[in-house]
Order: sequence, then structure tokens, then C-alpha cells
Amino acid sequence: MRAAAILTGLALLWQDHAAKTPDFRDVAVPAGLTQAFPNGGMVTKEYIIETTGSGVAFIDYDNDGLLDAFIGSGDGAPSRLYHNEGNGKFRDVSAAMGVTRNGWAQGTCAGDYDNDGFTDLFVTYWGQNILYKNEGGKRFRDVTKEAGLVQDRVRYNTGCAFLDYDHDGRLDLAVANYLKFSFEETPKPGANPYCWYLQIPVNCGPRGLPFDRNILYHANPDGTFTDVSEKSGIGAPDRSYCLTVLAADYDGDGWTDIFVACDQTPSLLFMNQKDGTFAEEAVLRGAAFDDNGKAMSGMGATSADYNHSGWLSIFRTNFSDERETLYRNRGQGEFEDATLTSGMAHNTKFVGWGCGFFDFDLDGWKDLLLVNGHVFPEIERKKIDIHFKDRRILYRNLRNGRFEDISLQAGPAIQEKHSSRGVAIGDIDNDGQLEVLVNNQGEAPSLIKQSAGPQGNWVLLQLTGSKSNRSAIGARVRLTAGGMTQYDEVRSGGGFISQSDLRLHFGLGEAKRIDKLEILWPSGVKDERTGLEVNRVLTLKEPQ
Amino acid sequence: MRTLTLLCAISCLACAQSDSLVKGLEAYQKGDLPAAERELRAASKSGDPRAAVFLALTLAATGRCQEAAPALVQSFQADAGDTGRLAGLGLAQCHLAANRLDEASAVVSALKSKYPADADVLYQAARLHMRAWNDNIYQLWQKNPASFRVNQISGEILETQGQFTEAAAEYRKAIEKNPRALSLHFRLGRALLMNSNSPEALAAAQKEFEAELTLNPSDAVAEFQIGQILLVQQKQAETAPHLLRALQLNPDFPEALIALGKLRVDEKKNDDAISLLNRAIKLAPRSEAAHYNLMMAYRNAGKMEDARREKAELDKLQKAPEGEFSEFLKKLGEKQPTQK
Repeated sequence: MRAAAILTGLALLWQDHAAKTPDFRDVAVPAGLTQAFPNGGMVTKEYIIETTGSGVAFIDYDNDGLLDAFIGSGDGAPSRLYHNEGNGKFRDVSAAMGVTRNGWAQGTCAGDYDNDGFTDLFVTYWGQNILYKNEGGKRFRDVTKEAGLVQDRVRYNTGCAFLDYDHDGRLDLAVANYLKFSFEETPKPGANPYCWYLQIPVNCGPRGLPFDRNILYHANPDGTFTDVSEKSGIGAPDRSYCLTVLAADYDGDGWTDIFVACDQTPSLLFMNQKDGTFAEEAVLRGAAFDDNGKAMSGMGATSADYNHSGWLSIFRTNFSDERETLYRNRGQGEFEDATLTSGMAHNTKFVGWGCGFFDFDLDGWKDLLLVNGHVFPEIERKKIDIHFKDRRILYRNLRNGRFEDISLQAGPAIQEKHSSRGVAIGDIDNDGQLEVLVNNQGEAPSLIKQSAGPQGNWVLLQLTGSKSNRSAIGARVRLTAGGMTQYDEVRSGGGFISQSDLRLHFGLGEAKRIDKLEILWPSGVKDERTGLEVNRVLTLKEPQ
Repeated sequence: MRTLTLLCAISCLACAQSDSLVKGLEAYQKGDLPAAERELRAASKSGDPRAAVFLALTLAATGRCQEAAPALVQSFQADAGDTGRLAGLGLAQCHLAANRLDEASAVVSALKSKYPADADVLYQAARLHMRAWNDNIYQLWQKNPASFRVNQISGEILETQGQFTEAAAEYRKAIEKNPRALSLHFRLGRALLMNSNSPEALAAAQKEFEAELTLNPSDAVAEFQIGQILLVQQKQAETAPHLLRALQLNPDFPEALIALGKLRVDEKKNDDAISLLNRAIKLAPRSEAAHYNLMMAYRNAGKMEDARREKAELDKLQKAPEGEFSEFLKKLGEKQPTQK
């Protein structure tokens, strides 16, 4: 009798495990995402500009309830905008929508900066950034000049994020800068000790190239922006090579802070002082280095309350021969390096880029995906286990502060090898199952989707601000269902210089209803709702 | 060698009184050594000691060290200034050319004590040691080609070249030849870890460090490495005993103190962590890891003033050195790059 019970128990365990092992497939080709996006050399890269690649975005530009896709490109082809046709297909609408700029596109972020109800798009470049104003979902118009965003010199702009740092109801804009680069003045491969890697001459930098400062633009009532980098403290220190901007309220004081992942230099954490200024406190708060006090090569970054602590932790991707970094938020925005204790210390052969927490199995605990690819295609000559094109990594949240690496069991799309950069996560068909858009260097993008839906319940929250910014960026949500309380924030930017779905997705496990939903809007309005239905998109407006 | 003397020659020109000395130095500077020799020989007849030294340097530069040596030795011993420095460098060069490594080593040692920060002296010292290294390796390969030491040194060279798979193969051959030799298992374990941190590599490296401990139970570093592997394998509870054992074997082991301090931070035993990390800093005051973790321990203990003090120390240690690239980089940064 006892033996039979044990066997039954084992069978149930197996079923539980089998049900939760995902099978991710790349559906980019059937979806119509077949255009390749160049980003410099695929055998050699002469300049660092060829290495950082470009971001991607999931935005619903025409308010039809379906996420559309923007894909940034390096020089040689335009970035493109694709409309979600609603049947698993995307259609290239770049020309019709006025999104045709060629050049070295870097990051992208989205937000309704003019509060007209349509999501606008900002794209950073090595060169002049573009603010695309969304004109009623019919066309994007380049309003960079009239918005006062023309830069006085060529900058290597990278990540960006819209945020309302001063609670005035308008979206401000943070832009990271990598370094000072020009084709004419940057040394060639092998020219100095910073232009070598494992005895191979490679493109120079970032070490050895001059720093640049990060930028904060304040949104004015007339639709223009003012550069407040110096006044706000964001422009200093200019001692880091910065890539991804991740804006969120890390210390729970109700004001948005800014984390910036930086390459080979300390990452930065600008804490909002609630008076229009920021104090950079990454080192003391434990979010600048690894656990040896060493600066890592921070590329991408993402945030989540992965452990249901009620605080947003930060995950950052790094270089090969470095660990990824999970900065666990101990509370009040004090972090500790939890990479080892969380089970993420073993993947040291990858150069990581885009990343995102997402609950792929709908169990109410955020899992984590990151994509990889070396900066030096020349590394293939060494015939070692570090590669220019490499597979993805998928971690399953074990619900105890630890993660399990299930990359090799998670389907072909996780194991296919690309040199990937930007990642956006969103639900393109509103079925509660999240898809992932990945920008691959010199190739068509990947659109990663599970072949079969997981078992759990879910909800997608589309928040619309009234006193707050219309995109509700910065709104904090605490959701209680099935005995679990999850916490998240509406966020622009992040990943690796990309924009994920502005809607908040929560897996709910077996919970049949949402017991309580608490929203703290950026305006300070507190909003509480109870007894909400699940397995749907809930559109929630800020109370007047 | 001639280029080393260029600056001095120019400065000497200004104070030279003899016409032949001026001409000799000019010719030396231009690389016209026959003319330099002719003029400097003429100048040296007047008894000008500088002419004698530069003549000796010219002779040394043309391979006539035997003739040059007396003047070089005299100047090197008598003159503590730049001429003496040049004479010493010339003398070292002559010994190296004649493969007299012991004599060259004595001259270079004297040069280093007289001119400890001089780039030319340090360069000559590096050349000397490189030559000695090459000669000894050559002899090892020639005289004992079957020795495990050949495989060991090959592994060590391959490691410095980043060829860890090949290095591991050499260490394995060395172990096969001499299973009881110390350090081979340790080096193999380290090469495996340098090559990969995969679960298989971690397990294989751990076996090697354990084998090293079997041969040498007092190897604190092998104990430490096992502790580090267990940490990566998520076996925190098993890590501490190895770190404690490493510290028993070597109480002044800063890396082990730091690793144990970090564990204590994770365990929220801040007072223990602070004590361990302060000990580490006494042993390794420039350790960024020690200062960083002490800062975190103080912060977690709510001792913010102490944490800020440690942060200030860390900031000092991490300040970028004013290296040779600094000025170049600053200039590059000030330029206005043009858009493509």
C-alpha cells in the first residue's frame, strides 16, 4: 500500500515537472519577421560601434489592443516598424508610418510624452536621436528638433527610459551615453593594449576611449524638453561606459530612481532626492560592482520582485569570464549580490545582453531570460567555448530565492545560436502567454513563443493615467491572489536598451480571482480594487 | 644602446668644450659610429672623461666590449650621475652579448639599487631575466626532455598564453610521469577552472585539489579552492569548513579571510564578518574585495560612518592611474567628432 502511494506520488511529481517544462520555438519566419538587420561585421568588427547592436520594442502604436514591433538596425539598413495583424503575423509599415531612418540605431523606449493617448517612440543613435511623435496611430512624425532634443555634437547614445521623476504628470527622458567615438579618431584593432583580446587584435574599447556623460531631459508643458543633466546630477560622474537605463522606485519612497548598467566601469544608481535632483549611490547601496568590489561589463538590466519581498531587485548581464549579477534588494534600496546564492554563478562563458523577468509558467513567480553573443566575432578563431553566436539562458524561479537553469530543456529557440542584443517581452496575442522579440546581429530577429500554453491563470493590466502621465509609467502595483502578493511597476526602457510591453503581466497560478489590487499612481493617488476576474486584459484608469 | 644615450648626448653637447667631443657626440647621435669613434678618440686624448665614456659606449655599440669595458667599469663605479648610468647599461649590455649572465646580473642589480625607477634600467633587467629564463628552459628541454618538469613548465607557459586546455593536457602528462610531485594537481585544477566553470569542470577541478591535499595536507590554497568550488556549487554550508581549515593552515591568508567574511555577511553575522575582513585588510591593505565587503558588512550592521570610510578607501584604490594613455585620451575626448 505504502509502495503504491510512493509510486503515485512520483508519477504526480513527474507530471508536474513535465507540465512546466517549456518548449520555446522561434516563430519569426511565419510571423513575417524575416528582414535581416545589419550591425557591422560578422567575421571581424573594426570599431566598437559595431558591437553594441540595437534594441527592440513592443508597443501598441494604434491602440488596437495588439502589440506592434519596432526593431532597431545598425548602419546599412533602416530600422523597421511592424504592425501586428492579429493572426500571428506582422506587416512592415515602416514607410507608411514614417519610420525610415538609417544609421546606427541603439536603444529604444516608449511612452506617451504628450499625453495624447498614443504611445510615442524614442530611438537613440550614435548620432542624432529621434523622438517619433505618434500622430493618432496613423503616422510617426520626427519632432526631435521642435522638442529641443537636437544634440550639439555626435554622441554615442545608448539606453533610454521615459520617467516622471518630478511627479508633474509629464514624461521626462533619461538617455545613457556609452563613450566618445568617431571613426576618424578611434584607434584601429591592435593599436594599443586596449585593442587586444586573448592575443587577437580586436576593436578598441571601451577601455581606452573617452567617457561621456549621461543625459536627463525634463519635459516642459509645451512639449519641449530641457537638458537638466547637470542640474539634476545625472551628468555626473562621467566615469562610466553606460548602456542600459532602468528606471524604478528602488527604495519605496514613491519617487522613481534610475539604475544604469555600465560596461567595465561601476554601474550607477541615481537615487531620487524628490527635489529635481539625484544622488549617485550605487557603491554604498551595493549595486555598482560584483561581490569582490570589481566593476563588471554591465550590458543589460531588468528589475522584478522575483522573491515576493515587495522590493524590486536588479539583474544585470555581463561579459564572458564574469558572472551575471543578481542584486537582491534587501529593502529600502539596499542591495546585496545574490548571484551565487540564487544559483546563477555558473554561466561564465557568455557575453549577456538583453534580459527580462517574465513568468513563462504562470506560477506567480518571475522567471528570467537572457540572450547572448560575443562582441568579437574574431573569438571563433580561438576555438574555445566562448562564441560570437551563442544560445540563450532561461532560468526558472524555484520560489525560494533560487533559480534553476533549464536552458537545455526549454526548446530549440533557447538553444539556437545568434549574436543577440535587444530583447522585448510582451503578449502579442493577449492569451496570457508572453512572447519574446530578440534583435540578432546581422540576422533576422527571433520571435520566441511557447509551443503550448502553460496551465496557470494570468492577468494583463493596462493602466492609463489621468493626473499621472497617460502611459502610467512609474505606477506601482501590488496584486494579491491565491495567497501570493506580487509587486511590479510600469516601466519604460530596460532589458538591453529596449522596450517591453507597457502592460503589466502577472501569472496567478491556480488563483481564480484577484483578491486585491493596489495601485499607487505616480500622481500619488492610491487606488484599491478587489474581486477582479482573471485570464484577461484589465484596462484600469486612474481615478480622477 | 645608442638610443639610450641620445638625450644625454644632446645635453652634453651644450657643455662640451672640445670641438672633437661635440663632433663625436653629434656623429654618435646621428648613428655615424665610425665618425663618432674617430672624433671621440681625438677628444679623449685631451683627457676629457666624457669623451672616454662615450668612446667606450661607441665601442660597445660596435661589439668591441673588451676594449670598452675598462672605461665603462670606471665610469659606472665612479659616477653616480647619468654618465655612470649609461656606462652601467653599456656594461650590462656587453655581458649579455657575451652570455655572461652572472656578471650581467651583478651589474643590473647595482643599477637597480642606484636607479630603482629608471625605465632603461628596468628594461635591461627584464631583458636579463628573459634571457635567463630562455636559457634555462632550453637547457631543461635539452638535458632532461623526458622529465615531468618539461611538461610542467610547458603547462605553465600555455597557461600564460590562455591555452588552458593544452595546459591541462601537459599537467596530466606531468602527473603521469611523477604522480607524487607537489603542485601538479593544484595547477591542473586551476587550469580546468580557468578554462570553464561548467559543472563538469568544477567537479574535475575539485578532484584535482583533493588529490593535491592528499599529497600535501597542509596546502592551504588547495583547501581554499575547494571552498570556492563548493560555493559556486551552491553548497554554502560545506564551504565554511574548508575556508576555516585553510585559515588554520595559514592564518595570514587574506583571500580565505575575505571569502569567509563574505559568507558571514550572507549569514547576517556582521560582527564576525567585520572582524574577519579587518584582519584581511591588515594583511592586504590594497585589497578592493576586502574593503568592499567590509563596507557592505558595516552597512548591513547599520554602521554607516564606518561604511562610508571603507567606501572612501575603495574609491582611492579604484582611482584610475595616470597612465600613459591619460593625456592622449583627454585630447581625444576634447575633439568634436564629426558625424559620418
